[in-house]
Amino acid sequence: MNCDQVRQRWELYYDSEGDSELYLQINEHIAACPSCAKWMFQQAQFEEAVTATLAASEPTAAMWQRVLSETGVARPAATRGWSFFGPFLALAASLLLFVGIWQFAPQQPAEHLSELAAVAHQQLIDKNRQVEFNSASDTEVEQYLKQRVSFPVRCPPRQDAGFEVRGGGVCSIAGDSAAYVVGQVEDKDVSIFILPAERLARFTHERDVLSREAVHHCRDGQYDMVLAKIDHNIVVVIGRGSPDRLERVVRAYGTYPHDPA
Amino acid sequence: MPKWTGPELAKPSDDRVGRFLQHLEPLKAALEAYCRRSVHDPNAVEDVLQEAVGKAYRDFHLYAEGTNFRAWIFRYLNLEIYAGNRAFRRERREALDEEPTIEEVWQHAIGEPFIERLLNEPERILSRCDDALAEAILELSPQERSVLLLRAIGQFKHREMADILDVPMGTIMSALSRARVRLRLRLAEYARERGLLGPGSLQRPR
Repeated sequence: MNCDQVRQRWELYYDSEGDSELYLQINEHIAACPSCAKWMFQQAQFEEAVTATLAASEPTAAMWQRVLSETGVARPAATRGWSFFGPFLALAASLLLFVGIWQFAPQQPAEHLSELAAVAHQQLIDKNRQVEFNSASDTEVEQYLKQRVSFPVRCPPRQDAGFEVRGGGVCSIAGDSAAYVVGQVEDKDVSIFILPAERLARFTHERDVLSREAVHHCRDGQYDMVLAKIDHNIVVVIGRGSPDRLERVVRAYGTYPHDPA
Repeated sequence: MPKWTGPELAKPSDDRVGRFLQHLEPLKAALEAYCRRSVHDPNAVEDVLQEAVGKAYRDFHLYAEGTNFRAWIFRYLNLEIYAGNRAFRRERREALDEEPTIEEVWQHAIGEPFIERLLNEPERILSRCDDALAEAILELSPQERSVLLLRAIGQFKHREMADILDVPMGTIMSALSRARVRLRLRLAEYARERGLLGPGSLQRPR
């Protein structure tokens, strides 16, 4: 094999696509030809540099979560089960916590409440999750939610806060139940997610920022959101409304006369 | 974010979802990188991945356990990338009137003094040419781009790429050769224009 033949076949050699005879002949040639040996080294060096530049980095977790959720590939959420098995699951969860089995659970990577809220809001917008209870009455929605969750919830914000309630229900966020209220702010769909305050410990990022700020603004994809710890709840207001309007809604949560029922 | 527009998915069993995710998990980074480098519209990455994963999951019952899932799902992704790029109306013509042979392009490439300089210090130059690299890849024909990225990102063999792209092995080999040469020429030109190829690099007449 001469120099031209070696250089014409270098890709088969480099890509490990040639037969054993090819390797033998090229190896013999470059052992005796410093010029071709250098040339082959240069080709390989360049291709490896290109490969390293193009190499895959870490996948974008939030995007993949949305992709899997939207395509129905994500593991089935626990929300459907809650409507029927809710009381039993709650009892089972309480027992598990009581005996301390949770301590043996494997460590999970840190989760971001904002990302999970964005996914849940998108599911509501796309009607992938049906709103359980439809009502334009804030008091009716409040009563419904109080029957559905074991943690305290307050009356949703009203029209005087710029929020037009449309309904509510219970969904699963990070495997645990959360109440949600759907409605509109300036004709744009907005969701409010309500979790028990103690759940904040699970979301270390949000826990840290809410230890420094009373109200936290952030954005995930196309949605703005405002988070706050209010009374016994973590409240996330998310949608395409202006951040100021969303903050007004979050600040209105829990300001109405509390109905002890 | 548009909703998944494919047919309604059957209610998944835990086992089916679990098996699919088990196969998919280690490939997420490569699928995403391949998609990001392939689509003309950077805002379409998520939608393209969504369509590809949705269709692959829809057809997962056709996948034979123990066969090449990696190549199987890249085929879905590649089809979606082609469709997305066509929709973006920026795809260049697939076939040139007179494609150079592999021998011709290598003879041309090795005769370029600037290519030689590029090959001498690839890491230094590539580290300053990321945008040019991305542009050069998008300027390749769809087939050339696919084989280059499938090889670099997916580390696929020629046979696997032929299956993914549904073309003969010979087409893969010639497309990969052309892609490599064109990439080098484009990067060398870019580096020359910016004086990255050392003394005298700016004096070359255009």
